[in-house]
Amino acid sequence: MPSFRLPMISVQDLKIHYGDFVAVDRLSFEVRKGSVYGLIGPNGAGKTTTIKAIATLIEPTFGEITLDGTSVLHEPEQARRMLGYMPDFPPVYDDLRVEEFCDLFAHAYGLDPVRRKEKVSECLGLTGLTDKRKDLCKTLSRGMKQRALLAKTLVHDPPVMLLDEPAANLDPKARIDLRNLLRKLASDGKTILVSSHVLTELQDLCDAIGIMKQGQMVHSGTIEEIAEKTSPDKIVLLEFASPGPEPGTILSPLDFVSSVDALDESGTKYEVAHTGTKDDESRMITLLVEKRARVCRFQPKQSKVEDLFLQVESEEEGGEEK
Amino acid sequence: MNPLILRGLCERLRPKHLVAAGLFSLIICSTIYLTAYFNGSQGEWRLVEGTDEWQQSESSPVDGARKAFTWLLGLQGFFLMFLGTGRVASITAEEKESGLLDYQRMTPMNPFSKITGYLFGVPVREYYMFALTLPFLLHCIVTGELSLENVLHLYFVFFSSVALYHLTAHVIGLVVPKPRAASWVSRIVVLGLYFFLPIFGQAGISFLSFLTILPTYFGKVLPELTALESTSYRSWENELVDFWQNVPFFTTEISPSLFTLIMQGLILTALLVTAHRKWRNDALPAFSKPSGLIVFVVFQFLLLGSLWPFFAEGKASGLLGENFSLEDTREGLFILLFVQSVYFGLSLLGILTLVNTCCPDRHLHLKGKQRAQRLGLPAIPRLADESRGTWFVLVLGAMVCAVHAVLLSLAQDSALFFVAYGSNWESLLDPTPVQVSPLAYLLPAVLVLSCATYLQAARELWFSLGFWGFAGLLWITPMLASLVLLVGWGTDHLDAIAALSSLCPILCLPQVLTCHYPIPIPQEYVDTPALGAFAGIGVATCLAFFLSVRLYRRPKP
Repeated sequence: MPSFRLPMISVQDLKIHYGDFVAVDRLSFEVRKGSVYGLIGPNGAGKTTTIKAIATLIEPTFGEITLDGTSVLHEPEQARRMLGYMPDFPPVYDDLRVEEFCDLFAHAYGLDPVRRKEKVSECLGLTGLTDKRKDLCKTLSRGMKQRALLAKTLVHDPPVMLLDEPAANLDPKARIDLRNLLRKLASDGKTILVSSHVLTELQDLCDAIGIMKQGQMVHSGTIEEIAEKTSPDKIVLLEFASPGPEPGTILSPLDFVSSVDALDESGTKYEVAHTGTKDDESRMITLLVEKRARVCRFQPKQSKVEDLFLQVESEEEGGEEK
Repeated sequence: MNPLILRGLCERLRPKHLVAAGLFSLIICSTIYLTAYFNGSQGEWRLVEGTDEWQQSESSPVDGARKAFTWLLGLQGFFLMFLGTGRVASITAEEKESGLLDYQRMTPMNPFSKITGYLFGVPVREYYMFALTLPFLLHCIVTGELSLENVLHLYFVFFSSVALYHLTAHVIGLVVPKPRAASWVSRIVVLGLYFFLPIFGQAGISFLSFLTILPTYFGKVLPELTALESTSYRSWENELVDFWQNVPFFTTEISPSLFTLIMQGLILTALLVTAHRKWRNDALPAFSKPSGLIVFVVFQFLLLGSLWPFFAEGKASGLLGENFSLEDTREGLFILLFVQSVYFGLSLLGILTLVNTCCPDRHLHLKGKQRAQRLGLPAIPRLADESRGTWFVLVLGAMVCAVHAVLLSLAQDSALFFVAYGSNWESLLDPTPVQVSPLAYLLPAVLVLSCATYLQAARELWFSLGFWGFAGLLWITPMLASLVLLVGWGTDHLDAIAALSSLCPILCLPQVLTCHYPIPIPQEYVDTPALGAFAGIGVATCLAFFLSVRLYRRPKP
């Protein structure tokens, strides 16, 4: 079967026990080639364990993991050649210089000396560490160490990258740089699996996300798909130039409108929840204009990863209480 | 060049390190070597016979260099064996804890290259410090007129020992699940394997003495170092030189350095197998079942070869050989009992270690079941790490029983231990051989097989903590409790103490054997060993039965 038909990362029915504790339970998801997939979830959800299992560092109790059709469990050596792994806590060889650190791994991955030199310079450039190349790793800040680790991860040009909390210690500019870099790598064909607590970062970075809780995948898919699954209502932000007729009354004939809530006391900002389509949204605008409402903003609200996560959290809590 | 060795060079041998470590090595080495050299080369003061005058003999640079040689060797051992081993252990443990080892595990380098990289890259500074002592060694050899062949012989064993210690430390770092404990465990294991275990060599099990450099040093080099110093050739040196000469093994004798190299080679191979498996996959047990069996076969072969001369001809190495006398057959039987107990003790400890290493815990077995199901196999392949270890421990137990049977037959045939004397004085010169009861073969076999079975069942039923807790409670607590009771009660309740102590199989075996040996026992205690043997074997067989039933009847999770 041609590889493009297969997902680049496929996790099926994964189960990981630590003694009697079940860290990951019947987890299944797929990541397409050249896409960025975000794993989110609270502490202890099993994100790091899942990433380590894909990285061949933990042997699952049950289940199957494949990378471009190669079984991680049965052919770990081949799988490792395809992987670049960056753990959540950035350990580095303290007494090596940054370029020596990257060169060590380029060498270990079998790059010839000339190619090694080029690749190390390229990766240090990509991660913004060219100025620090002669510094000892122990003198770097935590964020810089994170960059050095990313450079090391990139040095052998792996088609699959597993990044566990890559932005955890970075400053805002470095986060933006990292996001741009990861997007560029994905557009170059690399498949990236990233776990993060910084949910806003994932919003712009990920093509799809998986929300994990207590070792299980609660939702997986694109942000829109998950938003649709978690709540069928779509939200439109409505703003008027001046207070006018009550929009709830105007829109009441439309049966796809679920609710209209005022966002403040000025009577100019509202949030409309509806189950309609794009055409239905244009019908809403037409109706408002016909009723002489002075609409100055009509904006379908994008679902945010943060909102989805909180929604899932609250759903779960509600479920538990019941 | 191996990237990990290159890393060691970059990390630990920058110019500042070259200067600091170099100065340290040179200052320490020159101080120790030159002090020993000048002290040794000055002539000794002796009392002139028949007068009260002291006279100094002529100064001898040869004597000085020879005296300094031992000090130099000690310093080199300190650099490579002490500092180097500690370094390898702590770095491996630290990198496992921090996750750096995982990076290396994920690189496509061959596991053997990774092991070589760690063994020679991590202690690179210690090798540099060692290298700076070489000019002193050269001076020592030239001035001391030492035989190059003997020195090369010694250094060959020296480097083999260094590699062995470093590899032990590296493997412990890889194997111990809690990285913080690894550094300590490796130090304890290195100390135990190469310092305490050789003490068992004194009990006739000669191969255990040959894990260090000492046999080659005492057997090959010390005679040469002391050859010129007739006046200072002290009796203790003489004893040591005699002590470490050729090693009795089966019906032949092997030179100490060859024997040391064979021993170290075997251990190095076993450690390399473990390190290779752990580098490939951290989740794999240290040994597979087949490699565990091979290790145990070699272990039993070495035990058999070392004990053969004692059981067949009454010849023993170590302190046992020094003090053993076959003139008194009563003493001979006690020593036989002691050596058999040491043999069983070591074999049981070997079984315990291999059960812990090669038998799967619940989850590993479950993994195997699910994998077999997925692959459409009717059951887990018998040799797989995940398969039940019942057959494995029974083979281990059977090996111990077979070796014991061979040794006991040798003792029986030698007519050195099992003999009886008649009432007349003539019979003292021609004692009659006594036939040992077949139970002396059978009952130890039952005990060993039962112990192996319950250990395996406990290992597979419970996780590490439960297994070690069970083994500790069953083996160590009765031993300590009976010791306390023996001190407290004396011989008043010897039956109870014997029964209690027999829960520990190492203490039960001498009681089992005593019942069937012609050892004179005071009338009031004649039933005590039988009671201990009965209790010990009874408890062991019951435990083996119940735990095995529980293991095989365990509901599917």
